[in-house]
Amino acid sequence: MSASQSAVRSRAEAVQVSRTFDWMILFTLFFAVLGGYHIHYMLTGGDWDFWSDWKDRRLWVTVAPIVSITFPAAVQSCLWWRYRLPFGAVVSVLALLLGEWINRYLNFWGWTYFPVNFCFPSNLIPGAIILDVVLMLSGSMTLTAIVGGLAYGLIFYPGNWPIIAPLHVPVEYNGMMMTLADLQGYHYVRTGTPEYIRMVEKGTLRTFGKDVAPVSAFFSGFVCIIIYFLWHFFGKWFSKTDFIEGDI
Amino acid sequence: MAATTESVKADAAEAPLLNRRNVVLGLLLYLVFYSWVRWYEGVYGWSAGLDSFAPEFETYWMNFLYIELTLEVLTASVLWGYIWKSRDRKVMSITPREELRRHFTHWTWLVMYGWAIYWGASYFTEQDGTWHQTIVRDTDFTPSHIIEFYLSYPIYIITGVSAFLYAKTRLPTYQEGLHLMYMVSVIGPFMILPNVGLNEWGHTFWFMEELFVAPLHYGFVFFGWAALAIMGVVNTEVMTITRLLKKDLA
Repeated sequence: MSASQSAVRSRAEAVQVSRTFDWMILFTLFFAVLGGYHIHYMLTGGDWDFWSDWKDRRLWVTVAPIVSITFPAAVQSCLWWRYRLPFGAVVSVLALLLGEWINRYLNFWGWTYFPVNFCFPSNLIPGAIILDVVLMLSGSMTLTAIVGGLAYGLIFYPGNWPIIAPLHVPVEYNGMMMTLADLQGYHYVRTGTPEYIRMVEKGTLRTFGKDVAPVSAFFSGFVCIIIYFLWHFFGKWFSKTDFIEGDI
Repeated sequence: MAATTESVKADAAEAPLLNRRNVVLGLLLYLVFYSWVRWYEGVYGWSAGLDSFAPEFETYWMNFLYIELTLEVLTASVLWGYIWKSRDRKVMSITPREELRRHFTHWTWLVMYGWAIYWGASYFTEQDGTWHQTIVRDTDFTPSHIIEFYLSYPIYIITGVSAFLYAKTRLPTYQEGLHLMYMVSVIGPFMILPNVGLNEWGHTFWFMEELFVAPLHYGFVFFGWAALAIMGVVNTEVMTITRLLKKDLA
């Protein structure tokens, strides 16, 4: 093509073409990220996210932020560093949550009849907002990793507390003390229920104190910092536009 | 004056840059088809999908598997064959407007790819989690696997490879060589299908229960990351489209 030739005939058409591409790009990016993020999250933290009786004060609080900060960091690295769009983390989490909510309603409840108050997804929005705001205000990947990453881990439990608190009240059932969430689990037996599979609060020190959740959140925030760094660079790599030699 | 009139006539007769009907029909095709599939699962999963040794399992599920595999091989062969056979052998000499039109068609393919990835990697994969937490498997070919692994994954593979082939055979942008991230974004999710071999091998040996976070499943995770490579494709496309438009859009 001629170097000076435009493919459009007017500025108005150029604007229209550009906006149409924006929508097509956004749609594709949203659903491709949704698919990749969802398969990653469900297979690295899924069981804690699926069932209320897995949503304990230790492992859920630790695992969910660590495995979920990945895609937001990668998408941020593309959208912010290339286009100065400050919503990479929120758009990733919104995509994930859309996929999860559709599934919990139509399949967990609609196909296998688990009540939605037993299989609702974790809330990741507060952490995602913090990540985007820190990046937007600071413009610094290092600060976003350290401040945003730590906050992402710390905010997870408080962000979910209003939802999970009613299910963490103690109940006595057949002479045993358990949480209401545990009781839900007893009534809805699954193939992931046996104790050699189900990974919920185990350990020794926690029996002497009540501070399991904050310590878990702090540990999670620490690992989130490292994971953010790592996935930021993954995102940069996935954003490359290089060609390699060869043909089909 | 006459020349201007001729030009206007030519414009009116020209095909639109984007065929919106194709986009809508494509999205509806997947939506309606997968809604029907979900209805089928709901009805025949419970009534005929619990015992793989039962005759009704053969009727409703194994036959479904044989038919879908046959149709997928046929569809892939015809579609990929057509895109390749009808390739543009003078792709570097097309006009900028024709190039823009082809980018819109290319993006129609990519929209379908994103949509197909959603159904495969999100909808039917997490659905598999709840089915196998509810039903104790007695075969590798369970109702959810027959849909997830052998229907929804091949469909996004067929769609993704079609998009890649379209770009490679019709767009000047992709004539420099092989676009690394485009290949990652197509081949990575494709590799999830062969990874099913590992999954079934492990489930056959170790456990019939379901633990979604089991290390046995990490192969799916690794290849799922490849979906992020769509960002590299987007970046290349944005640069190309900006070059084609050559207008200040601010």
